[in-house]
Amino acid sequence: MTTNKIEIKDLTVNYIENKKSFNALHDVSFGVGKGEFVSVIGASGCGKSTLLSVLEGLYTPAGGSVQIDGKELHGTGTERGVVFQHYSLFPWMTTRKNIEFGIKQSRHDIKRSERAKIADEFLTKVGLTGFGSKYPSQLSGGMQQRAAIARALAMDTEILLMDEPFSAIDAKNRVILQDLLLKLWEGDGTEERKTVVFVTHDIDEAILLSDKIVVLTAHPGTVNEVVNVPFDRPRRREELVKTDEYGKFRNKLMSLLYNDIAERIGGDEVVL
Amino acid sequence: MTFAKRYLHLSHLLFIVLLLIQLLPDKSTKDVFTSSLITFAVAFEVIVLAASAFIKKEEGLSLLLDISGFIFVVLTLWSLATAKFNILNDLLFPAPGKVIHQFAEDSDKIYTNIKSSLGTTLKGFLIAVAVAVPLGLFIGWSARIGSAATYITKFFSSIPPIVYIPYGIALLPTFKSVSVFVIFLATFWPVFAGTMSGVLGVDKKIIDSAKVLNVSKPEMLFRVILPASLQQIFLGCNQGLSVSFILLTSAEMIGARDGMGYYVKYYSDFGDYTRTITGLLVIGFVVIAVTFLFNKLQNRLLRWKR
Repeated sequence: MTTNKIEIKDLTVNYIENKKSFNALHDVSFGVGKGEFVSVIGASGCGKSTLLSVLEGLYTPAGGSVQIDGKELHGTGTERGVVFQHYSLFPWMTTRKNIEFGIKQSRHDIKRSERAKIADEFLTKVGLTGFGSKYPSQLSGGMQQRAAIARALAMDTEILLMDEPFSAIDAKNRVILQDLLLKLWEGDGTEERKTVVFVTHDIDEAILLSDKIVVLTAHPGTVNEVVNVPFDRPRRREELVKTDEYGKFRNKLMSLLYNDIAERIGGDEVVL
Repeated sequence: MTFAKRYLHLSHLLFIVLLLIQLLPDKSTKDVFTSSLITFAVAFEVIVLAASAFIKKEEGLSLLLDISGFIFVVLTLWSLATAKFNILNDLLFPAPGKVIHQFAEDSDKIYTNIKSSLGTTLKGFLIAVAVAVPLGLFIGWSARIGSAATYITKFFSSIPPIVYIPYGIALLPTFKSVSVFVIFLATFWPVFAGTMSGVLGVDKKIIDSAKVLNVSKPEMLFRVILPASLQQIFLGCNQGLSVSFILLTSAEMIGARDGMGYYVKYYSDFGDYTRTITGLLVIGFVVIAVTFLFNKLQNRLLRWKR
């Protein structure tokens, strides 16, 4: 038997658009170990977000299976916390109420009176102390994503699914948020790390955060290669990017991503 | 804000002009109740001055003063054209003091009529909202693909509700219930249509993020879809409310025994145009007050939108 937390096997997803069915994902298989941080990267349209929708339970695959703890996945569930690119938070609830709502949905053991206190604790963890009574529209995009992460963490799920959470954030804040997520996820080693599936198109983001990177190829989306990230933790961006290994590893991923494009446009080599 | 900005305004000069005009001799042969006009103008000016001491926003203050200035100009011109120079027919155009006096004299009667009118409107309006919103949520949510309901609603909401009045009179026992029924119809369709279009327009991303939180069906409808479509619902409510007033006053003029529409119709039949104008002005103020309160409620409930 497998010991993976999430086991994806021969996953096939068909999209129906304008009465034509096309193959978004084809025979995708990989596993995510317990406490592992796995990124899924690929060019846009490769089906990486579709893959995450299946894991979220929002999309039913045409074939194959997804198992969590050895059990077949059926629909949505609050054992998985989700952070989307947009609208993770309800705009009509304050950030505190949003987090309280998440806690109410996933942690039935928590009393109503304790929810606000927990919400504030997690707001502090993501650097949003004092922003509990603000509405999402009163926060910047980066702060909204911080609050979304706070909610996902406050829900205390074993699995975290993140769908390009930082793609819409400006470059400077994206770096800050990546470092924050890295710090929160790595923790101080006393707590068990969460199992994360993180979708992105940013190679550096994937390397910094992940234990393992799944490279998808488009049309139809298939797994090109699953690469282990050979860098020790805890990672610090400043030290990591200076090493030669980082450059080499980054180039390897680049070629995995772009060879595929070269093949598709018919040339032997693509100069980037 | 400086003292000058707060208290030096053309409006106050216009107030003084209005008072000075009253020193002119009256040409009208009828009693023009100049003292009532002066009492009103002074009371109004006092309220404006008191308010300008408290208003914090500069735009709010200048808006108030512009409006009060406009009112003083109207009263001055009205006073000149009627009481002072008697240019207009004094049967059809009563002097401002007379209208104000009439209002004070009839205040009990006017109060009962307003209460009756507002009671009828509120009943029809609230019942319509209470039925239309949940129904719109259910149908809009279950018919997210087929939009037949939208077309059916378009058909029914295109019938001017006023034409239901004769049929309503045949159907229902009292004239009051006819008014409530017609206001119900006038509010129901726009609110129902607004709710459905709100539901159909809810961003799929919001629904997805609710789904991954495993919300129950009632929660999905009332804690997610309802607030997400609230703006559209309010659009429908606003439309319903403004049509309601038109319908109510028309209905009251047709056959009611009380209400502000009845008041205006009744006295104009007797040629009592002082009361007619008093009634018209009162209706204007009541509608503005209700609309103002309704907008306050709307802004409060939609405060999370930027």
